[in-house]
Order: sequence, then structure tokens, then C-alpha cells
Amino acid sequence: MSRQAQPPEDEHRADPGSGPPRLATRLLEGVLPPTDRGAAILGDLHEEFEARARKDERAARRWYVVEAIGIGVRYGRRTRRNRRGAAALGAPQGHDRSWEGMVDTLFTNVRYAVRRLTRSPMFTLVAVLSLGIGIGANTAMFSLVNAAIIRDMGFAEPERLVDVYEGTDDFTHGTLSYPDYLDFVEGSRDVFEAVTVSRFAVVQADTEDGVETLFGAGVTGEFFDLLGIDAARGRLLGEEDDVAPGAHPVVVLGHDYWSSRYAADPDIVGRQVRLRGRPYAVIGVTPEGFTGSVRGFAPALYVPVMMVDELMGSTGNSLESRGSQSYFGTARLRDGATFAQAEAAAERVTATLRERHPRTWTPDKEFVLERTEDVIMNPMIDRFVVPAAGMIMTVVGLVLLIACANLASFLLARAADRRKEIAVRLAVGARRRTLVAQLLTETVILAGVGGALGIVIATQGLDLLLAADLPLPFPITLDLSLDRTVLAFSALVSLGAGVLFGLAPALQSTNPDVAPALRDESAGGGRARGASLRNALVVGQVAVSVVLLVGAGLFLRSLDASRRLDPGFGGTPTALVQLVTPGDRYTREEALVYQRTLRERVAALPGVQSVGVIDNIHLDPLNTQTVRVQVDGIDPPPGQDFHGVDYAVIDEHLLEALDIPLVEGRGIEALDVADGEPVALVNQEFVHRFLPEGGAVGREVRLNGDPVRVVGVTADHKVRGLGEAPRPFVYRPIRQSFSPYGWVAARTGGEAERLVLDVIAEARALDPDIMVTQAKTMRRHLAVMLLGRELGAMVVGGFALLALLLASIGLYGTVSYAVARRAREVGIRLSLGADVGSVIRMLTGSGMRLVATGGAIGVLAAAAAAQLLSRLLYGVPPLDLPTFLVVPVVVGLVAFMASWVPARRVARIDPVGALRSE
Amino acid sequence: MGRGGYLGEFEQMLLLTVLRLGEDAYGVRIMADLEERIGRRVARGSVYVTLDRLEEKGWIVSESVPSASDRGGRPRRVVRVTPKGVGELRKSREALLTLWDGLEHALDG
Repeated sequence: MSRQAQPPEDEHRADPGSGPPRLATRLLEGVLPPTDRGAAILGDLHEEFEARARKDERAARRWYVVEAIGIGVRYGRRTRRNRRGAAALGAPQGHDRSWEGMVDTLFTNVRYAVRRLTRSPMFTLVAVLSLGIGIGANTAMFSLVNAAIIRDMGFAEPERLVDVYEGTDDFTHGTLSYPDYLDFVEGSRDVFEAVTVSRFAVVQADTEDGVETLFGAGVTGEFFDLLGIDAARGRLLGEEDDVAPGAHPVVVLGHDYWSSRYAADPDIVGRQVRLRGRPYAVIGVTPEGFTGSVRGFAPALYVPVMMVDELMGSTGNSLESRGSQSYFGTARLRDGATFAQAEAAAERVTATLRERHPRTWTPDKEFVLERTEDVIMNPMIDRFVVPAAGMIMTVVGLVLLIACANLASFLLARAADRRKEIAVRLAVGARRRTLVAQLLTETVILAGVGGALGIVIATQGLDLLLAADLPLPFPITLDLSLDRTVLAFSALVSLGAGVLFGLAPALQSTNPDVAPALRDESAGGGRARGASLRNALVVGQVAVSVVLLVGAGLFLRSLDASRRLDPGFGGTPTALVQLVTPGDRYTREEALVYQRTLRERVAALPGVQSVGVIDNIHLDPLNTQTVRVQVDGIDPPPGQDFHGVDYAVIDEHLLEALDIPLVEGRGIEALDVADGEPVALVNQEFVHRFLPEGGAVGREVRLNGDPVRVVGVTADHKVRGLGEAPRPFVYRPIRQSFSPYGWVAARTGGEAERLVLDVIAEARALDPDIMVTQAKTMRRHLAVMLLGRELGAMVVGGFALLALLLASIGLYGTVSYAVARRAREVGIRLSLGADVGSVIRMLTGSGMRLVATGGAIGVLAAAAAAQLLSRLLYGVPPLDLPTFLVVPVVVGLVAFMASWVPARRVARIDPVGALRSE
Repeated sequence: MGRGGYLGEFEQMLLLTVLRLGEDAYGVRIMADLEERIGRRVARGSVYVTLDRLEEKGWIVSESVPSASDRGGRPRRVVRVTPKGVGELRKSREALLTLWDGLEHALDG
């Protein structure tokens, strides 16, 4: 992928690859004299850089930065020397000199600070590590938030874009159906320049060694033009690719897919790829950084929406069905049109559709518009994403606070040691501002190095996270590369930490009230203010650690409680494989034969105990389906004339395969065929809710308007979420209510992972072109339900431990410093006959008093914070007693070690030596 | 290197390189030629600072020449050794030759 090969990309991407590094140039310009001489030096560097860059650009950039710094340092020194000479001769100090003077002072301060920092390497190491960890945690989490929420989607004039949804009372921001989309376009022409829809499509691409299942998007002809996206290669889809169903076998590749699958082949345009057996011509590639219209879901490829039914092997025609709501709508406002006008138009179309299609357009259904810029993923998801992001950033913010408290605490200790030096300098007339600037330079350097380390820690940590095999229900693509926003964030945090936490110690130690320090000869004196500030910092650190650990404890307990929930099915190793029998190749009867044959072949595999088929597996966060239920004598919810109840279509073996007990009546049987009596199974909750007077078996209910006889009752099981209250559920026989989508669920006495592959192999042996859309073990399927809690417990727990570690470092430092400072006092005590043990107890005790105060404050604060978390907890009260007992004990033990270990060092104090040293 | 002193080693190297390059002596060329001949890297910063010093002493003069391509639109500083500079070189060379006279065998050791 050579850079020269893609000039168009360089143009619109403010590419850092053109020309020498700008920041280094800018800095050097500041140091060099603003004359032709200065310019010539920059020109030389530029020229040599270009020559080197032709060979190796990265090396050339490195070289440039190193040389620029080298020249800057030498020139800085030289101009300073000249000026000093000039000033001595009484040369007028011109206006521009004052700026140079500042650069000059900066150089001096930096050198001074670096010298001091390298002189106490332990202090520097601990400070940089603390800050690195704190800033790293913040950078990593901010990268996530940035990728998930902030990062620019690359749309042109995004302020004119509007998201179009269909909303009902229960589901406020749903996707559109294609016919609704067409009506919306028709009715809103006066406010919208164009409207587009896109939908996700699972696509099977032929590869050299089999088939590859891809996550693609079907888009209308307006899609790319409306979003303002230009092709990186070839062309993108347009109106001419959006005319008739099945007539446009063309495909646009996503930039990432093109790079990974085709090694960014520059000659890709014009080649063909085979999708579901049909050749598609590649017409172009999307630009780098464009990840589709829905954040977090980057399609590997884009096909015309007219091709999706064919590609997915759908039985029906989703382009004509108002019930098939899978289309994400986006519209672009006309120049000058307002959002309010758009909403009025949407209301008009809603009214028309309610009148024309009363069956699908119920009174609560309407078009809902949102400004695209206000939406992160979907307003319904955003409601959870934003608080989660807020919580995570609060947690890492607290970790950073503890790290900064360490820094401030160390600085205060050092400042106390330098009181005399500073007092002398102030006494001989040094300006306070100068001293504060010097001390601040030191902290800012520490923060800068800490920040750089933090960025390294963050990238490593994120790599680990990306490498983790999370049981995500769908492919989430987050670009976690460090972009400008993230780097700016880290720089700001580092600088803020350096200045904020360096300022207090700097101001305190340069307090012009110098006389006492000069007079005070003893090393034990003058501890009042500095020490009390340091003590306050320790108290605060302990308190914050307790809050974080309590939070982590509550999440862990909540995870534990969720883990113990019984979903009510799938307790044994089970393979799950989702197949589609494409409607254009299979009639209903052929599909049923295929499913039955496959079931029998899988059942014959060694170790397999039971195999069944279900169209929509329980606890699938992406798919829920409901049937309209009417029962005589049970009033439907207000405003509706039916109950929406979750249902699934199954064969006669499914209940056994998923281990769902039948409690009454019979199960589904092979005799429940299309022309037999329509039957259904219901669960106990259904009976409880709709048939409470007993005798459920044999009763008739109406499903989607048709009478159906209840022949059996199953035990309850979880349907949508592990924590839900029991939900009513309906099962229908596959021969009476056919679905081309089928999960084969195979229970085994052996390994489920192996069986998954065997099932796929059997499915392909029967039909090499069968579409396998998902395949996983039951354990992995159920893990999705716990993923949120697991991640929450892991992240909060990890950061809480980090916080405890940092707080311990702070406490350790404070106590060891106290030991060193009180050496003389300890010496006196020891020489007067006190035993070492009692002195250790005294020193440890003073540390532990701080811990106790901090712990108490922490517990109170945690109790308040836990109330805020209560919505995120499951099965655990916010004031969970075990958590609130264990955390203080753990913190106490760790804190005891952190103060006892350094306190023990008094044993090594030589009483006579300590006294004589004064 | 002040009044009546002799050239420093690096000053001497630079002056000789500038002399050798003639019309075409500017930063990049000087450093490339010098590095090639002595076979080790020189720090850019020292070269510029030394050139400035040589010019202050009047041993070289420089002229700003508008740039060709590849320099970000910045001029070149083309330098030339002055007769005074040549005089300094001669003085240093003579001093060194006198000191070396008869000592060549010491190098064979």
C-alpha cells in the first residue's frame, strides 16, 4: 500500500505523511532566529528529510525530530549566551526578545528539572508509574468511548442529516419497512433532498476453500451520495444500481475488508466475487474510515438493496412487505428546510398511512425523526450506552485522582526537604514566580512522561481487550486507533494533572513566610502544614479506593447472582447451528424434508443424545418475535385488541433437545401437519395469565386471528433476559407454521465445540450451498446474556484493584517518609529505652489512623454511590452487607502492610547516629 | 580560537569542506560531503552554530539564495571562504606541519 499510489486519499485526509513532522518544525521555528539564516536551516532539514523519506518515511520522520531537537538545544544555548552578553552591555531588550526570553527560561527550567528528577530515580520512577497507570486507564477507556460515541462518522454536512424511525409505544425507535420508506419519500419531498435506507444482510461469499459468512449491507441508490461519501477506488452504488429486484449483481467493498481479504489489491475494481453462488462485479471500494451509517456495525461489503432478498434466500419479498421492518432510514434536509418542518411532514405521512393501512399502522405507530448528530447508535440503545460510558469514565477518573494524589504527596514531601534551600533563595531575592515555575516544570515533565507511558499502557491494554474472544452476539467494529481526539484528551489530562497537582506543593513550599524555616534547625520541625495536606491526601485516597472496591464488589456479587440463574433450558452441552433454506431453491415441503433429513443424520452422530429444530432460539438479544394472542374473557391491554406474546416454531424433538419439561398434555407430534387441526403449546406463565381458571389443555385461543387449540403446557423458561419475570410463551409446530430459518439444537454427551463443526459438515454434505448463518455452543450463546455484567465486573474490579495498589503506594510513601523524618525522635525514644516493637506500633498506628478515617468516609460515600448503581445491579441490594464488610477489611489489611513494612525500618535506625547527625 | 589563536579541529574541517565544494557550498551539501570524507556522522546543530561563528569572525561569508524545490519554499544559505579565512587555514596548516616535522615515525609505533 504505497502512499504515492493513492493521491486522492491524501487530499481529503489531512495526511500527516506529506512533508516533515509539523510540530517539530513549529517548535524549531520558535527557537531559530526569524532571519534567512533560520529559514535556511529549516530548508536544509526539509531537503534532507525529503531525500531520506524516499527511502524510509518512518525513519526519516524519526531522524527529523531528533535533529530538530539537537539544533534547537544548541541554538537555544547560543542565543541565550549572546543575549546575556548583550544585556551586560546594556543592549536594549526589544519586544520580540521577551518571547525569546520565555523560551530561554523554559530551556533552563527544563534542564534544571530533568537534572533534579534524574537525581532521585526512585521518586521519579514511582511518580511516572503512578501517573502512567492513571493516564493509561483514562486513555484506554476514553478510546473506547471515543470509538463508540464520539468519533466522526465521516458524513458530509452532518447537521442536515436526519434519522428516520418507526416508533410504537413499546418500541420507540424501530426500523422501517421498504413500502413505508417509499411512502415516506413520496410524502416528504418538500423538506428532504433525498432519503435512503440500508439494511444488514448476512452474505455468504465463496472462497477458495469453502464459504465465508460476511456481514454486509444492502443500500438504496441514494445512500453514498446522500451521506457525502466518495469512492477510494472505482465508484460507489448509485441510482442505476437500484432499479429492479435481482437485476444488479454489483458490490462495493468496505475499506477494511478490501485491505484484509484482498490485501488492498489496487486492481480489485472490475474483478468478480461470488456471493451465494452468483458472480458480482466489484465496482468500487469505500474510503478508509467510513464504517457505514450505523455506528459500531461496519459492513464488509455493500450491495444494492434490490439484491438483498436474493442474497439472503428470503422466501417472501421484503421490498413489498409492510411487516418486514429491517431498514435503517436516513434523510438529508433541503437547503433551508428546518427540523420542525421535517417533523410536520413525518406527521402528515403517518396520518396518511394510518388511514390507508390500518392493520399495520396501529394508532400508536408513527414516523419518528432524530437529528443524526444527536444519535449515537439508536436512541433506545443510547439510553444505556451513555450512562455506562459515564460510569466507566468516572471510575477511571477516580483512579487518576488517586495517582495524582500520590504525585502531590511525593512532591509535598520533597518540598518539605527543600524548605531550607528555597528559603535561602527567596531570602536572597529570588522571585517566587520563578521558583514556582521551576517546580511546576518538574511536575509537568513528570506528567508528560507519565502521559507517554499511559498511552503505551492504553494501547497494549486495548490490544489485549480486542484479542479477547468475547461472545458478542454480532460483529462489533470499533476503531480503537489513537486518533487526534484521544491524543488531545491524554495530553490535556496529563497537563492538567501536572499543573493542578503540582501547583499546591509548589505554592506551599515557596510560601514567602521564610523566617521560621531558616530559624528552624531541627529536621522534625515545620511539619504542620505539609504533613497535614499529605495526611488529607492519604485519607482521600483510601476513601476513593473503598468506594471503587465496594462498586466492584457489588458488580461481582451481581454477576454471581446472574450466573446462578437457571435459564430453564440448555443445561447440557449443546451445539446450535442456524441454517436458512433459501426460498428461491426450496419449496416449503423440500425445506421440511431437508430439515428432517439433517436432523436424522445429526442424531446418528456418535455421542448425540437428542436433536431438535427451532426457528428462533430463546435468549437471543437480536431476535424476538411475537404473535397476537386473543383469549375469550381476558381483556387486551388498553388501546389494543390483542396481547403480544413471544413464540417460536419447533419440531417434535425440540423440547427434549433443549431439556424443557412438559408439565401437562402432550408435546408437538409428527402428526401436527399443515392440514391437521392447528395446535399450540403454551407455558405455565401463559396459563397463569390467560387461562387462570384451569383446564388449559383443550382450550381454544386465537393466534394472529386464527383459532388454535392448546394441547400441552411446558415449564417456564427465560425468553428475553436472564433477570426477567416469567413471560408467557407459545410454541407452534413447524409443519403448521413454517419458517425457513431454523436452529438445529443438538444435545451431546461429548464436546459441543466438535459437534458444532460436525453439524455444519452434515448440513453442507446434504446441500453444499446451504446458508449457515450462525454456529455456536449453547454455553457461548448463554454467555452473551452475562457479557454486560461480566465486562462491568471485570472493568470496575480491575480498576478498583489498581486504585488500591496506587493508594497503597501512597500510604507506603507517606509512612516511610514519616519514619525518615522522625529518625531523631525515634533515636531519642530508643536511646531512652523504648523497645523497637512499640516504636513500630506507634508509626504504623499513625498510618492506620489515616486509613480508618479514610475508610469511614469511603464507606459512607460508597453507600451513597451504591444507590446510583442500584439500577445496574441484579440480585444484590445496594447496601449488600458482605460487600460492605469485606471491602473495609481488605483495605485495612493492605493498608496495614503498606504502613507496617516501612515502619519496620526504624529497627535499622542507629540511635546514636540519628542523634549525632543533627 | 580568539585573537592570534589557531583554528579548532571542527572549524578547520568545515572550512576545508566549504573550500572544496566551491560555488555549491550550503548546509546539506556541506554535511553530506563532510560525513562522506571523514566517515562519521556530524550533528546538524554543531555545523550551523560553527558556521555562524566562522561568519562572525569574517572567515566565511554567506548569501541567501532563493530555493529550488523540496525545501518547503525556504532559501539556501550558500557560504564561501573569505581571503581572511584562507589565511587562517594557511596559518593553522603551517603550525601543524612545523609541529609534525620529524615526528612521522612516532605514528608507526
